[in-house]
Amino acid sequence: MLRLHPYRYHRPKELGEALELLREHRGDSMPIAGGTDLMPNMKHGLYTPSHLVALKGVEELHVIEERDGELVIGAAETLTRVASDPLIKRRLPGLARAAEGIAHPMIRNIGTIGGNVCLDTRCTYYNQTYFWREALGFCLKKDGDVCYVVKGGSRCVAAHSADTPPMLMTLGATVDLATADGARSVPLTKFFTADGIWNTVREPDELVIRVRVPIPSPRLRTSYQKVRERKSVDFPLLGIALAVEIDDSHLIESISLVVAGLGAKPRVVGGLDKIAGGQRLTPDIIEEVARRAHRQCNPLDNLIVDTDWRHAMVAVYVRRAFEEVLGQPLAAA
Amino acid sequence: MKLEDFRGRQADSAASEEELREALEREFQVIGRRLRRTDGMSKSTGRTLYADDITLPGMLHAKILRSPHAHALIKSIDASAALELRGVHAVVTGADMPVPYGIIPWTRDEYPLCVDKVRYIGDGVAAVAAIDEDTANRALDSIEVEYEVLPHFLDPEEALERSDTPIHEPHKPGQNGNISKKVHLEFEDVEKGLADSDVVIEGEYYFEGTTHTPIEPHCAIGYFDPSGKLTVWSATQVPHYLHRELARVLELDVAKVRVIQPPVGGAFGGKSEPFDLEFCVAKLAMITARPVKILYTREEVFYAHRGRHPMLMHYKTGADRHGRIKAVDATTIIDGGAYSSFGLVTTYYSGQLITAPYQMESYRFDSTRVYTNKPCCGPKRGHGSVQPRFAIEVQLDKIAEALDIDPIELRRRNFIGTNTRTINELRITSNGFLQCLEEVERASAWKSKHRKLDYGRGVGVAGSCYISGTNYPIYPNDMPQSAVQLQVDRSGRVAVFAGASEIGQGSDSMLAYIVAEELGVPLDYIRILSADTDLTPVDLGAYSSRVTFMCGNACIDAARKIKKLVCEAVAEAWNCKAKSIMLAGGWAFKAEDTAQKMPISEAFNLAEAKFGALGATGSYNTPKDIHGTYRGGTIGSSPAFSFTAHVAEVDVDPETGFVEIHKIWIAHDCGRALNPLLVEGQMEGSVYMGAAEAIMEEHIFKETGLHNAPSLLDYKIPTSLDTPEMQSIIVESIDPEGPYGAKEAGEGPLHPSIPAIACAIYDAVGVRLDRLPFSPPRVWAAIRERGRQEEAGELSPWKSPPISVPLPATGD
Amino acid sequence: MIEALRLTVNGDTQEIGVPSHYTLLEALRYVLGYTGSKQGCDKGDCGACTVLLDGQPALSCILPVQEAIDREVTTVEGLAGPDGPHPLQDAFDLTGAAQCGFCTPGILMSAASLLQRNQSPSNHEIREALSGNLCRCTGYTKIFDAVEIAARALRENRPAAEVVRA
Ligand SMILES: Cc1cc2nc3c(=O)[nH]c(=O)nc-3n(C[C@H](O)[C@H](O)[C@H](O)COP(=O)(O)OP(=O)(O)OC[C@H]3O[C@@H](n4cnc5c(N)ncnc54)[C@H](O)[C@@H]3O)c2cc1C
Ligand code: FES
Ligand code: FES
Repeated sequence: MLRLHPYRYHRPKELGEALELLREHRGDSMPIAGGTDLMPNMKHGLYTPSHLVALKGVEELHVIEERDGELVIGAAETLTRVASDPLIKRRLPGLARAAEGIAHPMIRNIGTIGGNVCLDTRCTYYNQTYFWREALGFCLKKDGDVCYVVKGGSRCVAAHSADTPPMLMTLGATVDLATADGARSVPLTKFFTADGIWNTVREPDELVIRVRVPIPSPRLRTSYQKVRERKSVDFPLLGIALAVEIDDSHLIESISLVVAGLGAKPRVVGGLDKIAGGQRLTPDIIEEVARRAHRQCNPLDNLIVDTDWRHAMVAVYVRRAFEEVLGQPLAAA
Repeated sequence: MKLEDFRGRQADSAASEEELREALEREFQVIGRRLRRTDGMSKSTGRTLYADDITLPGMLHAKILRSPHAHALIKSIDASAALELRGVHAVVTGADMPVPYGIIPWTRDEYPLCVDKVRYIGDGVAAVAAIDEDTANRALDSIEVEYEVLPHFLDPEEALERSDTPIHEPHKPGQNGNISKKVHLEFEDVEKGLADSDVVIEGEYYFEGTTHTPIEPHCAIGYFDPSGKLTVWSATQVPHYLHRELARVLELDVAKVRVIQPPVGGAFGGKSEPFDLEFCVAKLAMITARPVKILYTREEVFYAHRGRHPMLMHYKTGADRHGRIKAVDATTIIDGGAYSSFGLVTTYYSGQLITAPYQMESYRFDSTRVYTNKPCCGPKRGHGSVQPRFAIEVQLDKIAEALDIDPIELRRRNFIGTNTRTINELRITSNGFLQCLEEVERASAWKSKHRKLDYGRGVGVAGSCYISGTNYPIYPNDMPQSAVQLQVDRSGRVAVFAGASEIGQGSDSMLAYIVAEELGVPLDYIRILSADTDLTPVDLGAYSSRVTFMCGNACIDAARKIKKLVCEAVAEAWNCKAKSIMLAGGWAFKAEDTAQKMPISEAFNLAEAKFGALGATGSYNTPKDIHGTYRGGTIGSSPAFSFTAHVAEVDVDPETGFVEIHKIWIAHDCGRALNPLLVEGQMEGSVYMGAAEAIMEEHIFKETGLHNAPSLLDYKIPTSLDTPEMQSIIVESIDPEGPYGAKEAGEGPLHPSIPAIACAIYDAVGVRLDRLPFSPPRVWAAIRERGRQEEAGELSPWKSPPISVPLPATGD
Repeated sequence: MIEALRLTVNGDTQEIGVPSHYTLLEALRYVLGYTGSKQGCDKGDCGACTVLLDGQPALSCILPVQEAIDREVTTVEGLAGPDGPHPLQDAFDLTGAAQCGFCTPGILMSAASLLQRNQSPSNHEIREALSGNLCRCTGYTKIFDAVEIAARALRENRPAAEVVRA
């Protein structure tokens, strides 16, 4: 079997205790929630902390409620819960659908939204066993100093591959973080960085406590388009989240589009307000948005699937996202 | 115990009077019914013990050190540090087992662990036995291997040219060491056939490699008892060959080696020859005097491979204007990977097995298997013939189109017939292919669909044939290919000792149905003891779809011997003719008067009293005059051929290239279906596997020779949401030599999936995909290319009314 | 490092010593002897190791053994009771849904949890529920049949064999 390295498994009951453990073993510890990302990664020798601090038993990380105009979701809530909770389904149907499309039922039953937000970046040269990586020559994300994706590259471009962050970003979500020394809040759009080795602003001993999402206006329509090879199990080859606020006459009040599955950071497609804000949502506008997304999003060889095709799919699935929010095929729009 | 005691017990499962009267009307009591499997309940309750479920007292765990280089000389191995680690019991290297092995006696080119050279990334170099896997892994890390790296070849065409760097030493000086096998055969005059043709279609097809991915990883346990007897438990589908090779390589007396094959968790050809782990557990057990287990990681399963060979196939096919095939000219380059495996046979099969179900006036094939520095290819479900079947069936579709003949009609016109010989002289007996075509044509409503569905949806058809076992064993001998021994207990319980390997296909159940049919005992009175070389007579193994045909016949042979004795004994007691006695439903009874009956155990007891202990052996050997009279003509011959036809209906998303297989109709001629439920299971499993090869599976490598992604996440096999809807239609052309007329069902039904899907994609969107797999990027690129040609006026729009394909934005 | 844990598996609570870096699957198979749960990939890709954790299907191969403390673990061995096999097991047997049987324990756990939630699942709901369990033998068709039959057997409170005959 694939062996894990020896470690101590801590099961704190309170947040303070968890944060204290992470501080005490800073540099040699990691939080573990569902472990559905961390466990395979440890089996690949990608992380070998001597201390694992389990989050599932921490009371404070379990909550789903409406509070002060926001929907608050505790970091340790499972993806199954996020996908099926009536409140989330009513208020944030796009998020529920993004969560529903993750992996497969058993992973969703155990994996958490906090873990999803903190999911390690992925790359075909990285998510491999120690033997495999050694045989190829270690890459710069782990144990080595070359990049196989961008030849001669010195910055890791492993792909952000989590399904809920793009949707959360379009919804204007904020994450609450804490260390033993204090707490802070970061808008999700500022949470991710372009460094594939560690693609968030989170400190290693810092925890995501909860995700807060402003309750959207009833006019907000969302769509999450996940491109994957199989209809289950697979990570996104592309994840496209769209949120548009439109009135009955299809006048666009706001628009936000985020694409994941490219580099280390989900890309917020820029300049859309300029072309779409205040306009009526027409096939021409949609085409223009699709073209922009296509121009701004360049898939890399960090996943095994043909980049030209993935590139072209950006435009196709942006259109499909619009079709979904309009509830009809484009031709009829 | 008195006889009466048995009576009460058997009454539970014994047939009622009414059922016995019904039984008289029926040809068979058990055969042909949708019965439970003998192992179904134990599998469904998690009780079945597979190899890794076995733990022996004091058992050690071993791990194999694998080469990180695709091609290199081993200069030295230093394992001294490993041996010093606490908990390490032994280390072995190639030098400890320097006898080469190989499933085909003429091409033994592998060592249990590499001796002086590694030939692919993952090749085994050393093995360590330790108290646990963690310790064994630590020991592997401390073994120092010095390599001299050689140029490596991943592309067979490059390897062919580089005879200066042979992956294997040439057999004779001057030969190219990178050629594993070359076969060139011609039947009738192909040039003339092509010249006389009204239409000649030429095409190049590429079949990407795929692998078996049984869900159970390979696992073996070795135990060497103090008296000098070696026992190996292994998840193998060929215990007999493993038995022989273990003895030969480890230089042991075969009689002192025992191989036990526990139920196997899927194999599909991936466990049909010896592997490094079996030799290593055996050797390490001999050295340490402790039981030793090796369980492959999933990654190692991908390195062990032996999957479908990549093939580059160049086909020229000629036909007259009625669509009758006048000539087939095939040239094939086969990428063999690092070793021979079954490659000699694969090379023949790539040409020998496509000469039915269609008549051809002339045929020539030239196949070359080439070594490359990749995991070794071998037999995967439909060994050697799935690839050329893709080529030839698509060729036929292209001919049909060129001649404006319906592709099903074209196939009908070329039907080879029953009781005939193929152009390469293979004997064909029963043949239900025409009915297969008719069934799928009707069930799929073909006539209302082909070229008539809206743009984006299409149907395709393909046919095929496959062997029911190879006519000749892998090592030449005249002994039976299969044998069965029956032992009857006084309770009425019948034990079946058979060498056949249960790998999920249902061979144990098949034997039980036969015994139940012949001896009239209820199914739960039958115990199947299979695949243990100390207990069971030889069966050559679960490969080439041979088990039902061969072991089934052997089992009938044994059972009828006992039946004869039992009927005689009962007839004597009842003072009637033996002919009048029937055994069925747990009883022996008189055909003329069902009220005259006795429990089957009582009948067995009468027979035992009269003849002594009740037991019998039965065997089967193949007919010897049914093959080609030329060199190599024995390869491909089989006592019977199965036939299949598929219609696939697909939806192609022209914007994305995703192919959704809407439904596949499968008609398969398996001869008599001994249990239709299990036949359907084989058909559906086959089609699922073929469809997956068509649209997603790809066993590929990085430039260094490293496997692209050896995991079940990245090597895509379909989930329950991806599997197509299927409709199985069993066609029963009763075979004159099969057990009750049965032929094979485990491999044949896979073949047409791939070409049928290819042709359905063409029907849907007008693009020919001659390269596998038909993944979204490929389909998408082909559609765009066609779009460009349409725009340029080189092609007219596909299907009318023309629908313009929205092309994705290409950016600014 | 060996850790002493109390686990409840198939209704029995036991104190066991396990290396702290073991997964639940290793503890079940190699410490407790529940070999029914299988290992096909060891990292979350195949579903062969699926067990129920407080009634919900979970992958035991990527679950640290400590996560099972204070929870009810059910393995395939726990599906059949003294009254006989679970209707699903009977239905699998009837339909030939287990060929090699290696994926079967995991699939049964996913299916059992589905039927607990939903006694009349549609074909699509069955496909969804099993979509993390790879089967390489059957093409899934007979498995879908089996789950449908078991659902009916449970609904109608009669043996699977009767449902098939009806
Ligand atoms: C076969 C397979 C398929 C998958 N498919 C998908 C997919 O389609 N889409 C997708 O998005 N994901 C997928 N995943 C990845 C993963 O299962 C999910 O992203 C899941 O949400 C991760 O959550 P977790 O709780 O299990 O994370 P964990 O593994 O526990 O943690 C992941 C990382 O986040 C850190 N972490 C966890 N919680 C916190 C916290 N509260 N604060 C700070 N750091 C934290 C951990 O230290 C670790 O580094 C797949 C995984 C597998 C094995
Ligand atoms: S063994 Fe757990 S998912 Fe494969
Ligand atoms: S029955 Fe063999 S894998 Fe499912």
